[in-house]
Amino acid sequence: MKLYDSLIQFVEQTLGPIAGKLGSQRHITALRDGFLVAMPFIIVGSFILIFANPPFAADTTNAFGRMWLDFVADHRATIVMPWTMSMGIMSLFITMGVAYSLARSYKMDPVGAAALSVMTFLLVAAPEKGWALPLNHFGGTGIFTALLAAYYSVELTRFLKERNITIRMPEQVPPAIAASFALLVPVLAIFLTAYPLSLWLQTSFGMQIPEAVMKLFAPLVSASNSLPAIIGALLLCQLLWFAGIHGANVVVGILSPIFLANIAANADAYAAGEALPNLFTQPFWDFYIFIGGAGATLALVILMAFSKATHLRSVGRMSALPGVFQINEPVMFGTPVVMNATLFVPFVLAPVVNAVIAYIAVNTGMVDKAIAVTPWTTPALIGAAWGAGWVLKASILTALLLVLDVLIYYPFFKVYEKQVLADEAAMESSNSESSATQQAVA
Amino acid sequence: MKKIFLCCSAGMSTSMLVNKMKAAAAEQGIEADIIAVSLADFDDTIKEYDVCLLGPQVKFRHEGLSAQAAEYGKKVGVIDSMAYGMMKGDKVLEQALALLED
Repeated sequence: MKLYDSLIQFVEQTLGPIAGKLGSQRHITALRDGFLVAMPFIIVGSFILIFANPPFAADTTNAFGRMWLDFVADHRATIVMPWTMSMGIMSLFITMGVAYSLARSYKMDPVGAAALSVMTFLLVAAPEKGWALPLNHFGGTGIFTALLAAYYSVELTRFLKERNITIRMPEQVPPAIAASFALLVPVLAIFLTAYPLSLWLQTSFGMQIPEAVMKLFAPLVSASNSLPAIIGALLLCQLLWFAGIHGANVVVGILSPIFLANIAANADAYAAGEALPNLFTQPFWDFYIFIGGAGATLALVILMAFSKATHLRSVGRMSALPGVFQINEPVMFGTPVVMNATLFVPFVLAPVVNAVIAYIAVNTGMVDKAIAVTPWTTPALIGAAWGAGWVLKASILTALLLVLDVLIYYPFFKVYEKQVLADEAAMESSNSESSATQQAVA
Repeated sequence: MKKIFLCCSAGMSTSMLVNKMKAAAAEQGIEADIIAVSLADFDDTIKEYDVCLLGPQVKFRHEGLSAQAAEYGKKVGVIDSMAYGMMKGDKVLEQALALLED
């Protein structure tokens, strides 16, 4: 119990405030909100990719599969085009979204900032050749560059504005017109800073900025596929949630560039018919580790829905539908799970067990790695299959993990149920006592 | 007309509460416009609405958002976590109205 107390103290007094600071830090908020801008394009785009690569063997005898395969073989380029123009160029949407959000947080012109960041990104990531832009770095390999382009262009604009380095207009010029000159200096400043850096890297190292940036982030990306890193990230998320702080808001916010870089590399490999490189992806996180939301609480919701205790039963039934869609605030705060010492162990243990088993299953190739990004609110059983390219094995893994989570939660749930039942009985007897006294008075 | 908005990470879980609050308001004959938004939309919404209540899971943003709301002379509260978990629309409505009263 001593260990538990000091852990809670650590979460409340150290981890919580740090997470709070990070969660409201403007660059991290802009990162999260900016990625949300890119999400619909990525989700629908990656869906197309699966359509372009039917989940059938090349020599299948299944009539439907045969038809699908033949159709794709004839029209592949046509079918893949929408994917290229959505998920394939996601870095463009990301740089726009992040710059827009960051500029808005500074109360600067957000559309101008988004346009400037697009220019910055193109300048360093897409050296045009023969009047065409090469798209190689518009996808997964450009994500970190897109992020840096957004941060750099907005911060540079802000720096110049604060130092009053701008084109001054005579006072007679209306403010709206003067404002239209506001971006001239920042555009020039980008030309004079980012472009020479790009040229220097190309001539000295024969490298584009996105390649250099990917090299820098490579250790982080490869570490993300390791079990200790996955467990570390999920424990952080769990401890924050246990203290009632939206852990995913902070942790997933920071993880999202890695999630996207990983899945984009998988999608590229999938389209090329190569082995998929990355295990740690958003579907892995949402649909194997956190079935029903942080803490894999869908298992607890199932137990509660059939509880003998009125309170638990009503919270469980109310939380069932949101839980299916991966939303678990009602069960977290209603049970409550937050700060509930009895439920602490399964709350932390269930996602860890899920992660370890899913890691083994995916790593040994029993279940396929993910190639598609899905909305995080997709029911886990469907989302797992969708993420892996409509592979049934993925849903089976999720179902097995869910059963396992029920078993992990069960003994602790029983202890807590007993406490709640005792409370309910005590309340009832005091109620009937007071009504008895009232009757006596009457 | 009381204009109340709830705000959480993605505006998902608070949106479930919105319907319960609307029902509670209708029952008490209170005219209220109640919506749920994500944190990203806080800036735009606070200009239009009278008061904001945050989901308890994002209370770490309370201080910063309160300061922002104060610029418009408005207040931000944090929803009581038990009322939130039990989705008690009447309790949360009461909380919002109390915040408007001060």
